[in-house]
Amino acid sequence: MKTTLQSNFCIAVVIWLLPTTTFSQSIEGPSFEDLLAGFSDPNRWLTYSGDYSGTRHSPLTQINPTNVEELRPVWTFQSGTTTRGRGWETTPLLDEGVLYVTGSNNLAWALDARTGRSFWQYRRNLPDDLTYGASAPVNRGFGMLGNQLFMVTLDAHLMSFDRRTGEVLWERELADYQIGYSATMAPLVVGNKVIVGISGGEYQTRGFIDAFDPVSGERIWRFNTIPGPGEPGSETWPNDPQILAQGGGGTWMNGSYDPDLNLIYWGVGNPNPDYYDENRPGDNLYTDSIVALDANTGELRWHYQFTPHDVNDWDSNHMPVLANIEWEGEPRRVVMVGNRNGFFYVLDRVSGEFLLGEPFTATTWAREIGDDGRPIIVNDGSLGCLPDPWGSTNFYPPTFFPGLDLFILTARETCATYVPELPANTRGQSNFGGTVFIDAEQGYGALRALDIHTGNLEWEFTYPSPTFGGVMSTASGLVFAGDHEGNFMAFSAATGENLWHYQTGTRIWGAAAITYMLDGLQYVLIPSGTTLTAFATRMP
Amino acid sequence: MSEFTSAQEVNPLAADPRAARAGGSIFRAQCATCHGADAKGIQSIEAPDLTLMFTRSESTDASVFRVIREGVPGSIMPPHAFPDAEIWMLVSYLRSVAIAGTSAQIDGDPRRGMTLFNLNCSRCHRVDNLGGSLGPDLSTITNRRSQDALTNSIRNPSAVIARRYKPVTLVTEDNGRIQGTVKSEDAFSIQIMDSNQVLRGFRKSSLQEVIHEDISLMPSFTESVLSGEDIDDVLRFLQSAR
Ligand code: HEC
Ligand code: HEC
Repeated sequence: MKTTLQSNFCIAVVIWLLPTTTFSQSIEGPSFEDLLAGFSDPNRWLTYSGDYSGTRHSPLTQINPTNVEELRPVWTFQSGTTTRGRGWETTPLLDEGVLYVTGSNNLAWALDARTGRSFWQYRRNLPDDLTYGASAPVNRGFGMLGNQLFMVTLDAHLMSFDRRTGEVLWERELADYQIGYSATMAPLVVGNKVIVGISGGEYQTRGFIDAFDPVSGERIWRFNTIPGPGEPGSETWPNDPQILAQGGGGTWMNGSYDPDLNLIYWGVGNPNPDYYDENRPGDNLYTDSIVALDANTGELRWHYQFTPHDVNDWDSNHMPVLANIEWEGEPRRVVMVGNRNGFFYVLDRVSGEFLLGEPFTATTWAREIGDDGRPIIVNDGSLGCLPDPWGSTNFYPPTFFPGLDLFILTARETCATYVPELPANTRGQSNFGGTVFIDAEQGYGALRALDIHTGNLEWEFTYPSPTFGGVMSTASGLVFAGDHEGNFMAFSAATGENLWHYQTGTRIWGAAAITYMLDGLQYVLIPSGTTLTAFATRMP
Repeated sequence: MSEFTSAQEVNPLAADPRAARAGGSIFRAQCATCHGADAKGIQSIEAPDLTLMFTRSESTDASVFRVIREGVPGSIMPPHAFPDAEIWMLVSYLRSVAIAGTSAQIDGDPRRGMTLFNLNCSRCHRVDNLGGSLGPDLSTITNRRSQDALTNSIRNPSAVIARRYKPVTLVTEDNGRIQGTVKSEDAFSIQIMDSNQVLRGFRKSSLQEVIHEDISLMPSFTESVLSGEDIDDVLRFLQSAR
């Protein structure tokens, strides 16, 4: 009897397993090698910037300056969730025809890249007493490794999902959201580490960058952006552990990565309180700096501070843009940053050496950056206009166009007066420490292309109001950008001439485009408001 | 303040027996067209059975409040701008009709059940993050469904096929056949998980045929494959998994 059962069982197995015998071939998802390969597979977009360099420069050429005017929407996805005060800031990831997209309020989806229809949807049950997360309920995207996705949350957790089902594999608390922490950036996957940063720099917080094991979810290292008492950098603060423990220094924008040096590059945010500085004399390291960390250990290799002793909320949370270029006749590995303080910087990314710092807006914060890399700070609105707290540019990605050696970014020309005031310093409450009066009449925005060797403005296209849209470029000579009036646009990278525009219906805020090939057709995607729209030069 | 407008985590009307009754009236007027008068859902429009909802660990009064208030983006479940009190009444009502799962301990051998599960089920089902994804995660299924219902599902999977797991066969232009479960579909396109557990989207214009099958992708486990005792062991294992 027993044997009969067994053989029946075997037959059953054979029959019903037929269509499933190839399980072992099921797609494993991208490996670290795939992430390192960056843009070499045009059917993929695997990490926030498309590759580790942060240049957001795609090699695709099907859409070019001649046919770009044929671009049309081919599908629209509706998130159904609004983002009070901000925008849909996400960068979707693409692999094997599936888009993995995060939304505001910690929604997330897997979408069919051909049609925008969803495979699954995830929605996190968020607590009602969110702190910073309530004022900026945004998210900038997933990180991906294998069949795992990684997303940070407004209540300051890191989560891992199975990308096939949207099921949660694990979640870990990064910090206590009730103090003021939140998390919004897109996790950076480097080797066997998921690297994340934290938001909430105007609360009683101390910033950090964390690396987690993707499988176990255990934390491997933490880099604190505000030194502890006695640690290097603490001499730039008052000798008061209380102040250091809530020095701010958020790390809420993604970093970039140099595999040869095994260094990650990451921007650090404002000191806390933002405007009121009586109780924090000194440079306040590592606020408003870029830090270069060993990816294996999180050890600090070098840092450069853009805005020492910031009193204007000029977080340095920008995408560090890496390029290997010719600098004064020598090959140089550089990192470039267009900063909220109004200056464009080129640094040697091996040593951190300062190479260039030139203004790209009418900032009157500093007269110039000295040869030693230290700004000669004037910080005087009486001479003209100081950039407002949103800065001369912000976290939204710029692009680097290699052939033309142009750094192209969205600039904001604004005019503001800062009136500092001792803040209440309450747990869970923001701590700006003053009031800012913005003269909206004088504000405008512009897409600006800077010569990376001189910082000179090569071309610009102006927008009616200060703009929060990111930028992407393609090797065919195109630049894609969004503005505050809702236009998604294409420009000639060489001349800045506007070649195409599409009105999305609401401001493009915090997002930059992505592009990919699918079934031989090039797509360009941009989130705006509650919509994610895909464009191509013909209906697929 | 978050975007979510529920005033609290706990239903303030939980102790009031009138709340569930009042909630029932609102439900029949506003929700029954989609979720059915008995709240057991309407398959054809994919409105889920709300009597099973609270057996999922992540479903709380507050989370259900939010879903009712905000709707489910991307589905026909609409947002509802009712006063807080009325939404809490709906939550009370849904609590009152919620089905308890298999609370009594199932009589079976969990160790043997695990072996049988790994052999027969885990290629398609996950338990505690291990296993395949063609079928639903079974980690908490015993909280939600009775022993009898689960036994029936295993013996005759095609009798009731779970939402979002409807079987389909796609015939490609080169006469290839792709089997999978439907995740989403509109007039012009279909999104599936194929039998290799890969998410795939198709324009229908690129397919010869879309065949909606009646037979679940889950095989029937007859007496000759799994005895009643075997199934009890498997269910006991599932019960012990979390
Ligand atoms: C037009 C049809 C429709 C109406 C009307 C409707 N629903 Fe729904 N509801 C749905 C659908 C469809 C879903 C599944 C959404 C999804 O997950 O894709 C759903 C989901 C839900 C859920 C989430 C279930 C879960 O398992 O998490 C709850 C709770 C809910 N509805 C309650 C209500 C209540 C209460 C009302 C009346 C106030 C209501 N619905 C009215 C169609 C409807
Ligand atoms: C070839 C893949 C496959 C195998 C093997 C398989 N299942 Fe399934 N199972 C599915 C699919 C697909 C569904 C969803 C469709 C349906 O309800 O039939 C499902 C549904 C179920 C359900 C209903 C879940 C619900 O939410 O109502 C149960 C219970 C279940 N399976 C148990 C088992 C057990 C126990 C085994 C092993 C003895 C097993 N399955 C083996 C694919 C499989």
